[in-house]
Amino acid sequence: MDLLQVEHICKTYGGGEAAVHALKDVSFSVPRGEFVAVVGESGSGKSTLLNMIGALDTPTSGRVYIGGEDTFAMKEKALTVFRRRNIGFIFQAFHLIPELSVEQNMIFPLLLDRQRPNTRYLEELLAVLGLEKRRNHLPSQLSGGQQQRVAIGRALITRPSLVLADEPTGNLDSQNSSEVLALLKKTARQYEQTVIMITHNPGIAHTADRVLQVSDGVLTDLGGCRE
Amino acid sequence: MKSYLSLIPISAKVRRRQNRMTLLCIIFAVFLVSAIFSMADMAVRMEQSRLAKKHGQAFTLQAIMDTSMGQSLFLIAGALFLLILIAGVLMISGSINSTVAQRTKFFGMMRCIGMSRQQLARFVRLEALNWCKTAIPIGIILGTVSSWTLCAILRFVVQEEFTAIPLFGVSAIGVVSGIVMGIVTVLIAAWMPARQAAKVSPIAAVSGNTGSTDRTQRAVRTGALPIELSLGTHHAVSAKKNLVLMTGSFALSIILFLTFSVLLDWVGYLLPQSASDADITIYGESGMNCVSPQIAKAIRAIDGVENVFGRRSVFEVPAELGQEGLPQTVDLISFDDFDLNALKKDDVLKKGSDLSKVYGDNSYVLAICDPDAPLHKGDIIWVNGEALNVAGLLKYDLFSGDGFSHGKVSVITSDETFLRLTGIGDYSLVMVQGDLTDESAAAISDLLDEGLLFRDQRGQRTFGTYIAFVLCVYSFLAIIAMVTVLNIMNSISMSVSARGKQYGAMRAVGMDGRQVTQMIAAEAVTYALAGGVIGCTGGLAIGKILFNILIRDHFAYAVWTIPVFRLLIVVLFVASATFAAIHAPAKRIRDMAVTDTINEL
Repeated sequence: MDLLQVEHICKTYGGGEAAVHALKDVSFSVPRGEFVAVVGESGSGKSTLLNMIGALDTPTSGRVYIGGEDTFAMKEKALTVFRRRNIGFIFQAFHLIPELSVEQNMIFPLLLDRQRPNTRYLEELLAVLGLEKRRNHLPSQLSGGQQQRVAIGRALITRPSLVLADEPTGNLDSQNSSEVLALLKKTARQYEQTVIMITHNPGIAHTADRVLQVSDGVLTDLGGCRE
Repeated sequence: MKSYLSLIPISAKVRRRQNRMTLLCIIFAVFLVSAIFSMADMAVRMEQSRLAKKHGQAFTLQAIMDTSMGQSLFLIAGALFLLILIAGVLMISGSINSTVAQRTKFFGMMRCIGMSRQQLARFVRLEALNWCKTAIPIGIILGTVSSWTLCAILRFVVQEEFTAIPLFGVSAIGVVSGIVMGIVTVLIAAWMPARQAAKVSPIAAVSGNTGSTDRTQRAVRTGALPIELSLGTHHAVSAKKNLVLMTGSFALSIILFLTFSVLLDWVGYLLPQSASDADITIYGESGMNCVSPQIAKAIRAIDGVENVFGRRSVFEVPAELGQEGLPQTVDLISFDDFDLNALKKDDVLKKGSDLSKVYGDNSYVLAICDPDAPLHKGDIIWVNGEALNVAGLLKYDLFSGDGFSHGKVSVITSDETFLRLTGIGDYSLVMVQGDLTDESAAAISDLLDEGLLFRDQRGQRTFGTYIAFVLCVYSFLAIIAMVTVLNIMNSISMSVSARGKQYGAMRAVGMDGRQVTQMIAAEAVTYALAGGVIGCTGGLAIGKILFNILIRDHFAYAVWTIPVFRLLIVVLFVASATFAAIHAPAKRIRDMAVTDTINEL
């Protein structure tokens, strides 16, 4: 069974003549464990699509199923809980909490859920992300690449089935970009997670299992690139 | 655009919503000062016309200022000016601080494209002064209109000595002090933020470092509290300047409240208001019990008379008090039911007194004695071979000028008990209360036999002045409270706006609406607790000092006690201010689209 099913999603901003159709009847599905890249011009609707999948925004019409659950049928509170347990987010601007240390930032979604972190898993993540020696540092004491690794750690701490990354390397230099990307792929494989990642970088897109292109709100499946 | 400064009104238009609270703060400060000085001016004009009428010559302002009334009026107005200035600076600098902190990137960009440090500082100062353009006129108009309203209340509702107060006077002093207050507050308040803005490095525009993250030195302690509460508390404690401003404004208004309340006590001692204050008093020339109850009965039938009550008295009755050092005689005074009720209303009974036992024919009495030779509740006083049980004590001597009994012991009995003990039926004093016209007073006077004296005290009641003073103090306190609530709401709202992006990210990674509210509440409660503790401690200390200077030194029987009721009001006020401050920003963050905040760089 597919982990993610997107069915006839439309998103329109405004009305009448000024209406902007950000997404036009978008449908696709992604099986568990697949690494998908979403490409497209600026303003094509990529981020809107990702926000819909992550239930951060509501579509004008259509449905999204994650693990068979209709996310838009859920009440706000249930949706928040569902999101923090099942979806990991990675943003271009990292969005770490400046007052929390590396370790605290990583376990933040668990703390919100009143759960204790699994120490072994946390140590493993810190090791995989190369942050063991930085665990007590504040975000302001880290480089951009390190901050993005913390954000990846935060996205993975709840062992979500789906990881959504909006240009995770957009703020990084090429060295850091390839490191972060390699990490993301490694962890996704290691923890059997589905990753949907927006990128502008064709080189990065080519390493994905499948590439989806969004152009003027219309989605085209470009298929696998690696083969 | 003629100059870079032309950007100021454009920016003001764009940031209208964010600037609304700052504008309100300036309007309040200007309004308060112009209302206070306008009122002081009107009072002086009233005094001028009163003196002119009395002495038949015009009095200059200087002449009024030389009187103690004029001096104290302007001294009070000056002290209030200073207090409002401090409160205004605290509030407005908080607002300007936040707007500057939120626009670090903008200032960095300005520096990038060539604005000098001085130009940036001038920009921030002029931007603040630009608010005065609208805030000062509004504040002055509000101040003048409210001084008219207050004058009308004094003239038509309170009346008494205020019937000569001018109604629609525009006070030049009020207008000028309002303008000065507006400009001075804003300039002082903008001074620090302007320097801060000038310090912004051009790199802030390109790096996106807004400074707030760099200042974080230590990670939040988690574990003891849920994460959202730890974060909220940390938000309050980590920004030291904001903590001082917020705690300061909470504490200042509590201190003002507790201090001003002492002024109310002071007026209570200066102009004691008793439920048994008489408009007309009738007594015998000889000072003996010689007013017959029939006269009292006849007075009751006269138009306008509301209450008639009498007292009987016998002085230096031999008595046994059972304690060494106490006198061997007592003064016996009878109070009828109305008079006894008045004791309770006036709150002159010491704690533990049981007034209910005294009514009717029995052996219970109330006693007045010196604090150094005290009687206690339950003590027995033997009079005419009869044991009188002390059911309660009075806080001070009602019958002496200074509140001390000077070694005498007075015993208050009910009418019935007095009659049984002494057999005396006539009154030594009959008092009349009511809305009495000259005709009614004359009718009462006509009833009196020879040997009885009539004292007309209708014009001497100080109720009007007392009420006017209480009204002024309470309205000032209400305004201070309102300004504090507004300021706290504004500051919390600003603090939340400044962290909008962070809160958006927290919501994206799973913080629910309740947790957002709790995080903001934890921040507000931290300010409230710190401000409450400092305010109550400071307010009680200052209040006690003021009590000693104003009251204790002049009314030695006065005892300072912890004002529990007022502290309860403070707690209620702090709790409701905190609730009001949390509600709107928490709702804003809950309703905010997560995508709006996380997608912007």
